[in-house]
Amino acid sequence: MSRAIIDAREWQKVFDLKTGATLAAKGPLDDLVRGVQDRHPYPGDLDAAGNRWVTDTAMDLLERYDPSFVFLTYAQQYFAGRYTPLTEAQWGATIATVYREVERFAALSGFTPVIVGTGDMAPLVAPIDLTHLDGLALCTHWSARYAGLHEPSPADLALLGTLPEIERIVPWQQFVDLLGPCSLDPVLLPKYVLVARAGHMFKTVGGAFRQVRRVPAPAYRIPVSGCPEGVSDSTEVRSTVEKLLGAGRVALIFVEGLGIENFPWSCREIGNGREWYYYETGDAQYLTITTGRHQVFEYPPGYRYFEEDGPGKEFPFSGYFRSVPARTIGADFGGRSIAVGNRSMFMHMAAGADISVECFARNLYNQGTMAVIHRDDKA
Amino acid sequence: MQCNYCEWRCDLANGKLGLCRMYETAEGGIRERFPHYWSSCIPARIESIPFYHVRPGSRALVIGTMGCNFRCRYCSNAFIAKEDPAVVRERMLRLSPAEVVRKARQMGCAGIVFNVNEPAVSLPSLQELAAEARREGIALGCLTNAYTTEESTELLTSIFSFFNVGLKGMSATFNRDHIGIPGVEPILRNIRRLAAVAHVEVTTPIIESVNDGELDDMARFLADVDPEIPWHVFRLLPEDEMKEARYPSVDRIAAALDAVRVRLPYIYFHNFVGSEWVNTHCPECGTLVIERFSLGCGGDKLKACHCTGGSCPACGHEIRLAGDVAPTWQPAEVRP
Repeated sequence: MSRAIIDAREWQKVFDLKTGATLAAKGPLDDLVRGVQDRHPYPGDLDAAGNRWVTDTAMDLLERYDPSFVFLTYAQQYFAGRYTPLTEAQWGATIATVYREVERFAALSGFTPVIVGTGDMAPLVAPIDLTHLDGLALCTHWSARYAGLHEPSPADLALLGTLPEIERIVPWQQFVDLLGPCSLDPVLLPKYVLVARAGHMFKTVGGAFRQVRRVPAPAYRIPVSGCPEGVSDSTEVRSTVEKLLGAGRVALIFVEGLGIENFPWSCREIGNGREWYYYETGDAQYLTITTGRHQVFEYPPGYRYFEEDGPGKEFPFSGYFRSVPARTIGADFGGRSIAVGNRSMFMHMAAGADISVECFARNLYNQGTMAVIHRDDKA
Repeated sequence: MQCNYCEWRCDLANGKLGLCRMYETAEGGIRERFPHYWSSCIPARIESIPFYHVRPGSRALVIGTMGCNFRCRYCSNAFIAKEDPAVVRERMLRLSPAEVVRKARQMGCAGIVFNVNEPAVSLPSLQELAAEARREGIALGCLTNAYTTEESTELLTSIFSFFNVGLKGMSATFNRDHIGIPGVEPILRNIRRLAAVAHVEVTTPIIESVNDGELDDMARFLADVDPEIPWHVFRLLPEDEMKEARYPSVDRIAAALDAVRVRLPYIYFHNFVGSEWVNTHCPECGTLVIERFSLGCGGDKLKACHCTGGSCPACGHEIRLAGDVAPTWQPAEVRP
């Protein structure tokens, strides 16, 4: 049974990750993990110390659990880049900070780092307003480039076809044919996927609009450092890491918001999607890399996510996730593993590590941290 | 010319703008500067707003506008409430009442709830929206600070059928130093009025060592208004000017609330993940009748409703509920 330990600052509680039921009985790793959470309160998504928190927390956990595989995600620069008005100098300083933190982790831990940049960010040119359509347009999970279009009228399609900011209008089946299959309930699925041109983002129904400054830039290819020659696609990173694990201790490190243009390490360029589709930073990209298979359709762009939030929905602390993904790198690894990151909600699902510690923030509001213990039989 | 929407009664003569910057004079009257601009239009669980005693398990379309007539130092939506509305509107949605109602329908929302900022700053738009929603059989609710004039409070009752009123503190010192208003009296007056004609829940954000000493006074007042009024005590998530403030102690606030539970049966303590003080117990026999998850800023959600026909399954006491449990949460044999 996977356990979730919530640390809401000076207050901790343990839950069954799947049911959300409070757990009274103590697991063998609980004290270790609770101590780590207690010593490392999360500073916040936009706080400059957010990436230092990742390194500090990872080192603390590493020293106590002694893993062979570490999964890290550094995301502060993504949140800051997206929502704060950074000058080029400030953006450069932000990149320098994440570089220092990743290097600090590598130096302190001695782990072999494999570093993946999830894609660059570019200034927002303009939003594309889809709120006046007859049908319903939805963007899910912070996507800027993709929107789902539900029940459009002929007038909607005619109008959308005239908008130069829209790169393409893709019938759902074409999308599935490219990256499928999709086993989701058809009721949840859009009729079309709309694709925005570079620099644009879709404006659909949403909540409390913050000023967006940067959006994900085109990322048909993303940088990876530490992978040997021959790796050409994000689906091949996992097998490479597994090979490296055969020879020593490895850290797979995701650095959000940095792509080929801004990646501060020497790197190889690898594929990040297929044909016109590329992953934006998010759960689908994480899962594609950690499972070695394209993972677009568990929680696809523009689906009616809110329809799943009913009585049968499990995993209440894991956002829209309805199950623990199978065959992730951490879940399949036989040695000890940990994951630490300031990307909340899905990191513990995508990494599959024995122990995960992530921030618990929603829409940039800081509620503390959540640790997930998927396995304690290696303790 | 004086604005009469809230108790500030700002002077809008000669092109002046009031505290909220949302009204202006025109053609001998007062008009909204930015009608039908929305800062939010998103489906949410009713419990997450929070309404714990309104149609449990239902989905509502959460809307908001911009601007506010308060200057709370800890505001969690300052980027909407405190910024200049003329600037903020650039990133808002402009939707007609019919479009808002259509979105609610398209996303299966049983109600529309105004959240994010203060409805008093956008009352003409909300009147139009209410008329449209009423035609479609959709009820409107709101979160409000209730710092409205008596006339405008009546307007609120004509627009909304359920309310969550923010009672932030009782003392003049707290209200002056942390909220920016001279006193709480108009709010107390309006809570009484609203509770007399509509479903009302109350929310109080707690700042340790600042307003936690007023819990008993607030409980006494609320019990006098309505002995079964639901009261949400929030562990303050400090933002804006108080971003660096220490988070209140869960244990100490919970203990302080235990001392006042004798006054009100429906007291909840949340706004943090995993709170165990989010369930409803029957005021008569103590039976657990509604269970919820607390997800903090992720929004609370229903876990189970054990009421039968709106009453306690053990003793039959009627549980305070405005509207039925959402059909998807009802046992299959009793679903409509």
